Amino acid sequence: MLKVKSGDLDKMALLFQRYHRPLYGFLFHMTGHRESSEDMVQTVFYRLLKSRHTFTGEGEFKTWMYHVARNVLSDHFSRSRRSGVHVDIAGLEEKLGGDTRLFERVEKRLAVQALQKAMAALSPESREILVLSRFQELKGAEIAIILDISVGAVKVRIYRAISQLKTLFLEQQTQIE
Amino acid sequence: MQCQKHKNLLERWWNDRLTEAERAELEAQLSECADCRRELEGSRELWDLMGFMPVEEPSGEMQTQFNAMLESYKATEGKEKRASGLASVWQWFAIRPSLATAFSFILLLGGFGLGMMINREKTVVVQAGAPVIVKTAPVPPVKPDTTKQEVAVEDKHPSETKQLAALTTQVHEMRELMMLSLLQNPAASERLRAVSYTSEITHVNPNIATALLATLNNDPNVNVRLTTLEALTHFARDPVVRQGLIQSILQQDSPLVQAALADVMLKLQEKRAIPSFKKLLLQKDLNGMVRSKIEETITRLT
Repeated sequence: MLKVKSGDLDKMALLFQRYHRPLYGFLFHMTGHRESSEDMVQTVFYRLLKSRHTFTGEGEFKTWMYHVARNVLSDHFSRSRRSGVHVDIAGLEEKLGGDTRLFERVEKRLAVQALQKAMAALSPESREILVLSRFQELKGAEIAIILDISVGAVKVRIYRAISQLKTLFLEQQTQIE
Repeated sequence: MQCQKHKNLLERWWNDRLTEAERAELEAQLSECADCRRELEGSRELWDLMGFMPVEEPSGEMQTQFNAMLESYKATEGKEKRASGLASVWQWFAIRPSLATAFSFILLLGGFGLGMMINREKTVVVQAGAPVIVKTAPVPPVKPDTTKQEVAVEDKHPSETKQLAALTTQVHEMRELMMLSLLQNPAASERLRAVSYTSEITHVNPNIATALLATLNNDPNVNVRLTTLEALTHFARDPVVRQGLIQSILQQDSPLVQAALADVMLKLQEKRAIPSFKKLLLQKDLNGMVRSKIEETITRLT
């Protein structure tokens, strides 16, 4: 990234190749929309290019990218005036795989559906911290930098989010049953 | 339901930060407390289940869109950098190229007028002793007794020529800059216009030669390549250009450009192109028309 900062813009293409999939995953889990997530990936990288002079080199590119992504996401939510997740179960069958037994598959599908709805019902803050820790595989210290909170606070928030998610998940499952 | 101590340990467990001793403590306490065990198991299952949440595949256009965005960003950034020298005037020129031409003319006329004025003043000063005042600068000495006037006329030439030369250089430099920047434009029509500017250039400098040769070899548009070839032909006296043209023979894949190059080489009577043409003939997928044209060119060159 420091090379990009010093004017070698082609290096940004390398960073894009490395990080655009995880970034897309983060945005998708936060919105549930493919198209808007794709658009936001472009916006994030455009902003990174534009503000590359502010990149200090301290800390990683990854945390800086998520930092910018959160701002883009918040703009998106304030524009669309909602911060909920669109629940789409397309692709679920694929993810569950064809080798498990039918009964298990149906059961798991219901469970994942309930989980998706529970995730959508979570507060954006809790959803965000779960997505960052579960799907983006970021360490506590990295999340702390992204969210600008202490590492201790990250732990507490993850724990709380999981507890909230569990409550919502059980509610959803009861509804489905 | 569960003690605070367990809660703290569980929080730490999630972050995989337990020391060996803490892990042992947690396990010991979990075996005692059934509620805590359920709590932990439930969270763990949910955590695993999250791995099955599907992510819709992106369309695959993200990379293309990013590349386009990066290119246009680089282009605008490049323009801004160049603009810092000639400030916003240059940006205006990029938007309205006709302004650039107008500005060049104004500069030329202004410079000319200024030169005339300065010279007229000088003439008057030199002739301060004589009653006759010369009205126009380029009047040649008519009578042998106007020696002073002759001095004045001779005196004015170097300054006028200097100013004119400086102005002409400026205009040339500006035109060259504009051409080089337009050659990078993503629109083929703009690149065509850039090439057409070279018709007003008399002396090709290495910058222009390199830019034009790069366009001839790499431009994705056949029309741009053809026009560039035509423009380069005018500079064929330049050894760099001539060598570049010969080297370009093997780099072209369009039959139109290949045929045009054959014409150019024939016109220039460039015998050094024969080996390249022969190599081209070895290509199996060479267009039939081009093949016969090149064969004819080789015969006429030898």
